[in-house]
Amino acid sequence: MAVSKVTFRIQRFDPAVDREPHDQDFEIELPPGITILKALNKIRAEKDPTLALRYSCGSAICGSCAVRVNGHARLACKTQVSDCTTNGVLRVGPIGNLEVLRDLVVDMEPFLASLDRVKPYLVAGNGAAPEYERKQSPDEFLKIDPSTTCILCAACYSDCNVLAVDDDFVGPASLAKAHRFIFDSRDVDTADRMRAISEKTGVWDCTHCGECSTRCPTETKPLERIEEIRTKAMTDGFHGNPGARHALGFRETVGKRGLLDENYLPARSMGFLNLPGLLSLVPIGLRMVMRGKNPPLIPHSIDKVDEVKKTFARFEELRK
Amino acid sequence: MYSHDIVIVGSGLAGLRAAMELVGQLDVAVVTKVYPSRSHSGAAQGGVAAALGNVDDDSVEAHIYDTVKGSDFLGDQDAIEILCSDAPRTIYEMEHLGCPFSRTDDHKINQRAFGGHSYLRACFSADRTGHALLHTLVEQTYKQGGRLRVYSEWHMNRLIIQDGVCRGVVVMDIKTGKLEVLRAKAVLFASGGYGQAFKITSNAAANTGDGIVAAYRAGVPLQDMEFVQFHPTGLYEHGILLTEGARGEGGYLINADGDRFMSRYAPSKMELGPRDIVSRSEQTEINEGRGAGPNKDYVLLDLRHLGKQKIMERLPQVYNLAKDFIGVDCTEDPVPIQPTAHYSMGGIPADNDCQVYLDENGEHVEGFFVAGECSCTSVHGANRLGTNSLLEALVFGRRAGKKMLDAEPGLARAAVDEERELAAARDEIEVLYAGDGSEDLNAIRDELKETMTYQLGVYRCAEDMQQAQHTIKGLRERFRKVQVKNRGKQFNLNLLETLELSNMLEYSELIVDGGLAREESRGAHFRSDFSTRDDVNWLRHTLAFRTDDGGHELRYKPVTITRFQPEERKY
Amino acid sequence: MKYALYTGCVANGAGRENLIATRLACEKLGIELVEMTDAACCGAGVINEDNPMVADILNARTFSLAEAQGLDIMNICTTCQGIHRKAQRKLDGKPDYMARVNAELERDTGRRYKGEVVVKHFYEVLLNDYGLVRLKEKVVRPLTGLKLGAFYGCYATRPPEVNDLGNPDDPDELEKLIEALGATPVRYDERLKCCGFPIAMLNKENSMQLGGNAIASAQQAGADAMVTPCPLCHLNLDAYQPDIESRVGRKLRMPILHIPQLVAMALGVSKDAVRLDTHIVRPTGMLAS
Repeated sequence: MAVSKVTFRIQRFDPAVDREPHDQDFEIELPPGITILKALNKIRAEKDPTLALRYSCGSAICGSCAVRVNGHARLACKTQVSDCTTNGVLRVGPIGNLEVLRDLVVDMEPFLASLDRVKPYLVAGNGAAPEYERKQSPDEFLKIDPSTTCILCAACYSDCNVLAVDDDFVGPASLAKAHRFIFDSRDVDTADRMRAISEKTGVWDCTHCGECSTRCPTETKPLERIEEIRTKAMTDGFHGNPGARHALGFRETVGKRGLLDENYLPARSMGFLNLPGLLSLVPIGLRMVMRGKNPPLIPHSIDKVDEVKKTFARFEELRK
Repeated sequence: MYSHDIVIVGSGLAGLRAAMELVGQLDVAVVTKVYPSRSHSGAAQGGVAAALGNVDDDSVEAHIYDTVKGSDFLGDQDAIEILCSDAPRTIYEMEHLGCPFSRTDDHKINQRAFGGHSYLRACFSADRTGHALLHTLVEQTYKQGGRLRVYSEWHMNRLIIQDGVCRGVVVMDIKTGKLEVLRAKAVLFASGGYGQAFKITSNAAANTGDGIVAAYRAGVPLQDMEFVQFHPTGLYEHGILLTEGARGEGGYLINADGDRFMSRYAPSKMELGPRDIVSRSEQTEINEGRGAGPNKDYVLLDLRHLGKQKIMERLPQVYNLAKDFIGVDCTEDPVPIQPTAHYSMGGIPADNDCQVYLDENGEHVEGFFVAGECSCTSVHGANRLGTNSLLEALVFGRRAGKKMLDAEPGLARAAVDEERELAAARDEIEVLYAGDGSEDLNAIRDELKETMTYQLGVYRCAEDMQQAQHTIKGLRERFRKVQVKNRGKQFNLNLLETLELSNMLEYSELIVDGGLAREESRGAHFRSDFSTRDDVNWLRHTLAFRTDDGGHELRYKPVTITRFQPEERKY
Repeated sequence: MKYALYTGCVANGAGRENLIATRLACEKLGIELVEMTDAACCGAGVINEDNPMVADILNARTFSLAEAQGLDIMNICTTCQGIHRKAQRKLDGKPDYMARVNAELERDTGRRYKGEVVVKHFYEVLLNDYGLVRLKEKVVRPLTGLKLGAFYGCYATRPPEVNDLGNPDDPDELEKLIEALGATPVRYDERLKCCGFPIAMLNKENSMQLGGNAIASAQQAGADAMVTPCPLCHLNLDAYQPDIESRVGRKLRMPILHIPQLVAMALGVSKDAVRLDTHIVRPTGMLAS
């Protein structure tokens, strides 16, 4: 059986002796078709019994083995070594945005605690022991099917760009978890959930970078769930925040002229009565004027704009 | 030393369900060597059984009969009656807690066919039923506002039983290596199965029988250890489970010639025969040269005729597993599969209220309870029907909780000699560091797994089992020379695995000896040299008791029969 | 080579130098551009959330306009490009849904989206249609000695299904382009991260910190300037750079360029003509006028 030599560049950290994490190379011979998890365990068995990592089921359902491979979060148990090597080298490190405890093991507590912020359980009213199941249609089940596949692996949390700069952000896993209950037809707390999620550090703080969905190993795909929550927020009128006003600004200007009005949009997002917010826009506004890049004061319409106006008008009617 | 009213070891369905019954009323703590959402309950795929009658005319009576028959009449029928009678209530309760279930067109919980069940009673959530149920209970833990203490990533080293009274456990914090005593009025073990002793297994790395061995070392017998279920559709070489639901949805099993060979072994049930029969059929095909692949060592699960849409809707996980782990697209090609060690029918014996037995005469250990896969009540007898394990965990997890709540006023938080217990645990670990290092942990473990898979597998015989006995004795001797090389305190997987191997070696002996002694074929225990079932001599449970010299003796106890007299088991 | 040029919204105001430079570069290369003055906003991810179907209709409309001219679309913004590709994928993959969208589209415009048009970004046109070998031959003022950090931005790299990068997790397309123009590409840790633009008006601290991380990372790796295929990234990294500096507490002075400006300059267009003067952060060193 053909074997090949691969160098695993693994991030090590032993809090007892290291001040900083550091990389360590392990050269190992591997058969074809081997997964990263199996290779890491081979390294533990043959080269270094002190290597620490998490794993359990080996079948992509328990969520234990998320690691960063070449800088991006993946499940070690279902990732092929051969897919990740460049010139015979691959890098493995702990997942991001969480404190490293030892080698590839991180502190999961903040991640698990973030879920607590979205009331991650069904709220359906109390009652005596149920005699029958609550009814739910197959379509209603399909709405929550993706978000219920989440295995809490934290790959999304690891690579989230906003969490990298702000650990108050509730995070993609929590937003996907919130989605699971917001869209569950049996949950009665929808309005409260929507209100809570629309506040600062919630759903509108996502920067839409797509890392979460790209790294998600299941069907959860947090970015798509975030988008669905925002659509619901816009449809159900949870508009009292900059993110929703920003979307309204798009609706209003594109619906009128086919293009964004970049003068109107920032002010609309801030809120026309938000004096400090509006004032904060002045510096950049001035900068643009000084460089001659300010958008035209009389906004420009596209040709055939009536086609667009018709579409927007009809959907506005449907909204009512 | 920490004190609680109740300590539960294991955070899967059984452990968490028991905890839910107690939280807010008693000081309850859950200890787990992983995190609760990572418990192996989450790997169960196909469904959870209950006679809801949502898609056909099922009845509790039929469920009981199917389970008794499936157990090859070794199951205790009073326990089975409880299991099946409580099933509908259990499912409705889980649905009310929020468990997402796949639905029928008239909006009820959908149910499908499953091996060995004569009605469509497997309630399912796509093909991730275990995951759905487990996460529903994990969600409930978030509702407890700190009233439930969960010790995540703590390994349970020792069970403290003194003078017939269970007093607590000794645990090790995997994050720091620190040993602690957890003192309690009652302890529940919900610590899962023991499939890791086998090379090809669907079990998680964590399933090393820590609970059953700790109980065994503390003087509790282990029951029916020889009965290990081999699931027919394990992904080739990985052992990862491909749900029986794939066959429930209409998948075929074919050999190298493209034959649906089950027509020769279970003509009426075909692919939906019970697991032991299907596994043996597969093994026979392989043994007789009709296996597929370059080494002719696997058979094939063919889903192509179901069509892409049905596969993606009902069996998405099967699709992903086949693709991600062995690169097979099951909408286009049949999937290589082989029997995989899947479920442990054996375990800690207990009565129908989950109270642990100390012997074959009904004597109890005070304050010690078990539920779920690590228990043997016995609802599964010699062979478990699919979808009954998730059910067992929920039904008996709840019963254990209720019983502990009920019994608690009468239980004392008995005295524990903390120093002595910690010293014993420490010594156990020191011994492992003191080995001379001339033997390798991984080599011994690999040899154990090979031995168990090939000699205690789907087909057994005296010669193989005697050889296995001999091999394992040798491995236990060699194990003394293993040395833990990692001296670190944090996340010392090397130490953990050495402790786990010690457990695996200990319970493997019981599997072999129980199997060798049992001269008949029943359920999952099939012997080519005693190929028929012998109800005259062997309608009884095996109990293995540890003796002072570190060996063991086997004793037996009768099966509880209430409704159904043993009959020939044909499908 | 002829394309329907989709300019996007920013090209008329805050990102006008991008459009100007594109026209100049394409003139030098002999690429004919027909500006789509009738195309509407792609939605920028925002309308797509506010009302997914309206956004899909707008984008199907854009596609139908190009199809009516028998031309493929060239984008000068990777956000528009990413959104267009996502929309196409959604429509092409769901025939029932596409039929519904087309019904609405036909009702309002008389046109239908046929599923024929191909959508590319300017840098993809250069790499795949024009070819780097040919491009190199046209370079008259190689940007030798200029160390450039390419900032890809989110929509160019994610999700991997809607771009044509060889390895979306570790792409080298822009680096190859930079090399072909005679400059030295500089790789740095944050080159695939988010610039923070989408939340600039929603959570300014976070947005500025994200921008700051990107610039600091490029600086640390030795880049003289950064170049990006997305004018929204350009806005956040250039126009907001003073705000970024407030957030990170130090001067950065990192010039940010648009891809077309780079290409045009290498092809002989003057720095003045590509309107480096409109940038907030004055270009320095060899880019200085």
